[in-house]
Amino acid sequence: MNADSRGAVGVSPGRLERELAYYQRECNDLGARLLRLQEEQSQAFREARRSRTLAKLIREAHRLADTVIGPEDLGDRILEIVVDNSMCDRAALLIEEAPGSRVFRVTHAIGLRERATSPVSMPSVPDFFFTTAQTRIEPPAYELTGILQLPYVLWAYDRTTGHALMIGNRSEANVSRAFEAGDQELIEGGLSVYIDVLARKQAEQELRRAMHAAEQADEAKAAFLATLSHELRTPLNAIIGLADIMSSKRTPALTAERSGAYAAEIAGSGRHLLRLINDILDYSGIARGHLAIQPEWVRLEHAVGAAIRAAQGLAGERNVALSTSPIDPGFGLLVDSVRFRQILDNLIGNAIKFTPQGGRVTVDVEVGADGSIRISVRDTGIGMRPEDIAIAMEPFRQLENALTRKAAGTGLGLPITKGLVEAHGGTLAIESEPGQGTTVRLEFPAALGSPGRQKLPKG
Amino acid sequence: MVAIGHGRSVSAATAIEQCRGAVGDVVPRLLLVFCGGKHDGAEIIKALRAAFGDDVQIVGGSAAGVIWRDGLGYSGLEVGLVAFEEGDFMPEVVVNRDLLQGEQAAGFALGRELRETAVEDSVVLMFYDSVANQSPLRLHPASDLVAGLQSGLAGHRIRLIGGGTLTDMNLSDAWVFDGRSVAKHAVIALVFPPGLKDETVILHGCRPVSTFMEITRIEGAEVFELDGRPALSVIEQMLGVTLGNTSSQDLSLIATLGEKQGDPYAAYDENSYVNRLILRANRSTGSITLFERDFHLGTRVQIMSRDNALMLDSVRNGISRINQAQSGGQPLLAIYIDCAGRASARSGAAVEEARLVADGLSSSIPFLGFYSGVEIAPFEGYSRPLDWTGLLTVLSAR
Repeated sequence: MNADSRGAVGVSPGRLERELAYYQRECNDLGARLLRLQEEQSQAFREARRSRTLAKLIREAHRLADTVIGPEDLGDRILEIVVDNSMCDRAALLIEEAPGSRVFRVTHAIGLRERATSPVSMPSVPDFFFTTAQTRIEPPAYELTGILQLPYVLWAYDRTTGHALMIGNRSEANVSRAFEAGDQELIEGGLSVYIDVLARKQAEQELRRAMHAAEQADEAKAAFLATLSHELRTPLNAIIGLADIMSSKRTPALTAERSGAYAAEIAGSGRHLLRLINDILDYSGIARGHLAIQPEWVRLEHAVGAAIRAAQGLAGERNVALSTSPIDPGFGLLVDSVRFRQILDNLIGNAIKFTPQGGRVTVDVEVGADGSIRISVRDTGIGMRPEDIAIAMEPFRQLENALTRKAAGTGLGLPITKGLVEAHGGTLAIESEPGQGTTVRLEFPAALGSPGRQKLPKG
Repeated sequence: MVAIGHGRSVSAATAIEQCRGAVGDVVPRLLLVFCGGKHDGAEIIKALRAAFGDDVQIVGGSAAGVIWRDGLGYSGLEVGLVAFEEGDFMPEVVVNRDLLQGEQAAGFALGRELRETAVEDSVVLMFYDSVANQSPLRLHPASDLVAGLQSGLAGHRIRLIGGGTLTDMNLSDAWVFDGRSVAKHAVIALVFPPGLKDETVILHGCRPVSTFMEITRIEGAEVFELDGRPALSVIEQMLGVTLGNTSSQDLSLIATLGEKQGDPYAAYDENSYVNRLILRANRSTGSITLFERDFHLGTRVQIMSRDNALMLDSVRNGISRINQAQSGGQPLLAIYIDCAGRASARSGAAVEEARLVADGLSSSIPFLGFYSGVEIAPFEGYSRPLDWTGLLTVLSAR
């Protein structure tokens, strides 16, 4: 007989039943306490996990700042981190279309099968918002739940930048617990990290662009200085050389004819130098944005006519036909008349210069459907390859060809002209084809033009 | 020869490209793919075809999360895959798409087919979509599916191992890849050749916290009474709380019902229990709905508490057993089918138990896991659906 059976001897069935009931009760009570403790511990762990979520989210999101991804791809990566950490069903980043417009567009989303392409308009935009089972479906809950197509959403909006972040769940409970006011830190934390990293990425991108532009500008400046030295030295050498010859005692006496020729060459080189220096000053002023424009209404018929008449001499020398199509006497343009004449002179002069004998240069003026004033200078000259057009726009970058060698210029005419047109708010575009000629098109905004066949504006 | 790939991205194409990169030079004939539920399954198929060619068979399905050798995630954006190259261990794929018409009948038809396809004792991996309907939530009961399958097999023995897929941890939806496309209400069986065997451990983590109680009223998966009292009252009394309507689903995070196999009065052994998660509490009827409907009138159950410390111990012990068993063998692949409830986001465990599995398993074994709704494993000689378990299977040459 073992100890257990010995212990049972003499024990009444009633006592055994009571003892069993006692142990059962104790077992269940202790089990219940264990269950509750286990659940409390799990709950504490889950809450601690959620508390760590914000720190983890911020840490992971900030790491993106050191990666090579661009600002466009940042949204998806941030949302991945938000979804991973918040365990939500869907998430989206939005941008307000215009500051204060209350119209939002989804820029990035996760979990949305079909992303809403049309903007969402909201009657009021809260900085922070969430929905629960008790939330009434009225603005802004109506619009916000509609964006993610989910009943439970958490939203944060940054009024300064117009960015917004939202996450959403299908069910209120289970793994994802109901959203609450305490989640403001989480959602606003996620949004602010996005905005910070985005700003940094955008700044990096702008910095890279600026550095690239600066490098290009540096190269251009070096080339400009090299060319400038050359352009200045050539006429100066001629002036000094000829002056030395004329003043030298060792030189046999010059004939009056030769002296006159040398003096004419010195004067020509001097004028070229003056033109060059004027052009450089113009170009420098334009490049630095220091060009002073004094707009006044000019009658295009007169302005173009005067420029044509002034260039007829050069055109005649080169046997190039120069003409203008009839211009509506009512066409007026609000421009600096001196600068406008400079524009026309440059373009017409260039066109004549690059047109072989027997060619034609035509100036046309018309009004676009939008009221803009369009002036074109068309020649039947040597033309340019598409890749040479950009070169022609650069300072001192004359294209090598037989005609340019015959008629040297400063190489600043086109860049100055373009700068002058743009200083008036207009644009300059070139169409050209080798052997077919070149058309330079100027377009001035409608605000600067007066309609044809109507009264010329006063002033 | 198999290779494992994994990736994570909002873009299906990017995630699959990451998988492709990890797989290397392997030219797969079959892909076993598990994919986070935030991805569109059709987009994943498209990306897989672009990366691996049009002829590759694609099986697997959605996953509440994916577990790989050096990481895991349940954001819904993860993708993991096993690439099977042409070779001696290429499984044959058998599909049944009739779960919606009845799980038992579909199981029976599949069992009949497996009887013809699978050699006796061969390993069969089976996957199906757990969620039959989203609103109201209804699961495809694995117990009916497996019971039907066993009937169809008619005594033909196979090593059935598997899991139910989910799109996320909230049981929102589920789908499978059926070889060619995305499918609902379908079950996929991978029948491995007889030259392959499995070593499977079931990792637990629940222990009883009540005396035995008898189910005195039950209809399908809905338990109305325990020991003649409303089942919900019994549970609430144990928890010391009254569950509101909105938190009724929370029960699945707290307690399960367990049926002890064998001698009911034998000392506690985690391997003796079949656990059933509680899908929801029904206030109006005072009942609780279980994940499965294989408990019956008169079944003696105990209320079980999840025990995170026990869960982690169970993992350590199971991994130790399986590593010992693999010593000197030729392991081909390890698959971990892990109940979504065990992830720390749900269980509240301080350590991800799946991390312990990946870290503890011999590093030479290609490894992939996913978070599932239900696990199916050989249990006391008969494959049964299990809840709140982790199922680690290592396939190796016999």
